[in-house]
Amino acid sequence: MCPGMALTPFEIKDCALLVRMSGLPPAFNLRELRMRVAACSESVLFHHFCETPIRPTFDNPDYRNDFAVWAKLYLGDRVLAERLGIIDPYSMASLEDLRAAALEILEDRLSEITDIPSVSRGDEFYFLEATTVTFDTGERIAHPRDLAAAIRGMTNGSVYYHFLEARRRQVVGKDDFSAWLRGDPETYRTFIAALESIDFYFYSLPELRRQIVEALTQGGKRK
Amino acid sequence: MSSPLSEYEKIVGASAVTQLRRLGEKLGRIRVVHVNSTREGGGVAEILEWMVPLMRDVGLEASWEVIQGTPRFYRITKAIHNGLQGRPVELSRRDWSVYREVNEQNARRLRPVLEEADIVVVHDPQPAPLLSMFPKRRGKWIWRGHIDISRPHRPVWKGLHPIVKEYDASIFSMCEFAQPLPHPQFLVPPSIDPLSEKNVEIGAEELDRVRKEFGIDRKQPLLVQVSRFDRFKDPIGVIQAYRLVRTVSPVQLLLAGGGAADDPEGKAVLEEVREAAEGDPGIHVILLPANAHRTINAFQRIADIILQKSTKEGFGLTVTEGMWKGKPVIGGDVGGIRLQVFNHHTGFLVNTPEGAAHRIRYFLHHRERIREMGEEAREFVRENFLLTRHLREYLTLFLSVLRGGTGGVLSI
Repeated sequence: MCPGMALTPFEIKDCALLVRMSGLPPAFNLRELRMRVAACSESVLFHHFCETPIRPTFDNPDYRNDFAVWAKLYLGDRVLAERLGIIDPYSMASLEDLRAAALEILEDRLSEITDIPSVSRGDEFYFLEATTVTFDTGERIAHPRDLAAAIRGMTNGSVYYHFLEARRRQVVGKDDFSAWLRGDPETYRTFIAALESIDFYFYSLPELRRQIVEALTQGGKRK
Repeated sequence: MSSPLSEYEKIVGASAVTQLRRLGEKLGRIRVVHVNSTREGGGVAEILEWMVPLMRDVGLEASWEVIQGTPRFYRITKAIHNGLQGRPVELSRRDWSVYREVNEQNARRLRPVLEEADIVVVHDPQPAPLLSMFPKRRGKWIWRGHIDISRPHRPVWKGLHPIVKEYDASIFSMCEFAQPLPHPQFLVPPSIDPLSEKNVEIGAEELDRVRKEFGIDRKQPLLVQVSRFDRFKDPIGVIQAYRLVRTVSPVQLLLAGGGAADDPEGKAVLEEVREAAEGDPGIHVILLPANAHRTINAFQRIADIILQKSTKEGFGLTVTEGMWKGKPVIGGDVGGIRLQVFNHHTGFLVNTPEGAAHRIRYFLHHRERIREMGEEAREFVRENFLLTRHLREYLTLFLSVLRGGTGGVLSI
């Protein structure tokens, strides 16, 4: 990367997720799922749509949100699973928009079918939420040319915090790295474009780390 | 004795270890005491064996206390354990009194250390009544339920609920195990120590010695189930599955397990298993001492396929151990096994001896899938079920309960 105007050093944060029961009763059928999605807190929605990569679970190769996975594996409703599975929560302006999108799909499906799919005890959907504990690592990136190397050595928690969770915090819905580089948008436009080109929703965190490093490396070459 | 934290860098990466040290720094020298009912045998003791030293390694003043009980106390707590897992058991008023009295005796002995602790983690039901005996406690008390209490025998849960609900928080291995309680219920799956005697790499020569010592024929595929001799682990169902396979394909079965100090039923189940296996040279039933970790490690490594055909399961650490050794697992479709075994990726979930036999035969005819799924299983464990992740969640939980944060984001 070429030196541009001096940016304030990037503060590397880290985070760890602590998952807990939300207190909502579990859903045993599609109607109950609809009711709970309508009533649950935003942090429950955020957890089931966005926090799956940082939770200790198997990266389901089919779908990235828990509702779609449950619809396929337990409700046995593949149509619903496909519709829920394509929802990209990061494309929504707010969590309430995300809720509205999910509810529309659930309500459409309820209106299409005559038998409400349900599950046996043991296969119900549990509504969870999480506390994200964030902390400053004390490490700083002084210059954008060091960004790729720093990301290569980051924890999954840091990658999650700066690239995914950031979209919940940043007003413009961007990741922290892009937001930092926007301090000098002219100089770093290829890097910003490279970061924005990543279709990140379908990556696990180790995959995402590789993609970001790759994008920054390629962005540097195009400059 | 576990390895120092720095030793894990080569397995999980330096950044993951640095993260743990930073969390430890944020907590400072807080006093953390774990309390359980046995120093050896069973998954809880194995977890505490590494967790306590590693908590010290990141700067906490961590310690581990074991309550002492009478044979009657252990019979009662075993009944409570079984009742919580759904088996109808009878507990008299006198039994509940003995349960409490033994805890009172332990409370007197443990008073100085527990009263002053910043965090007390009480594991499983045996020591749970201790909380009510410390009205002057200064720290936060957390109840850690390791077992599946999703469908408890109601009278037993009614006896335990008033005790557990007084804690500041509880921890369960998975959401299905939780019961309604008036405090935060955190979800923390357990984990394994990749450098412990039970999981560390073992050379080929030593594996050959183990084969020889236990009469294992290296020319025949080997199925291994390692678990306590407990009906919930369904060892008889495993023998049935083996016999279904044996009629069409040469195979041998090794059922190995130890007894735990707090499990008086194991002997009876072992006798049933020996009777079922009698006269079949292809079945090896082996009772191991509680410290036979390296032998268990070797058994899992010489296995072609790992079985864990439980009908009830807490988390199923033997599943994690088998997967860490690069073996696919055929596991019961219950409890924490569902968190680990994913059909066609890390193994197969089954519900019957017939289902297990079917999947065993699949593997025996697709040997390359044993290797491929085994590799995927090992990487899955590396990312999710090693002790570093487990320790991180405990440290995070301590920060959360000490700083009173249960909202979406807690900045420290």
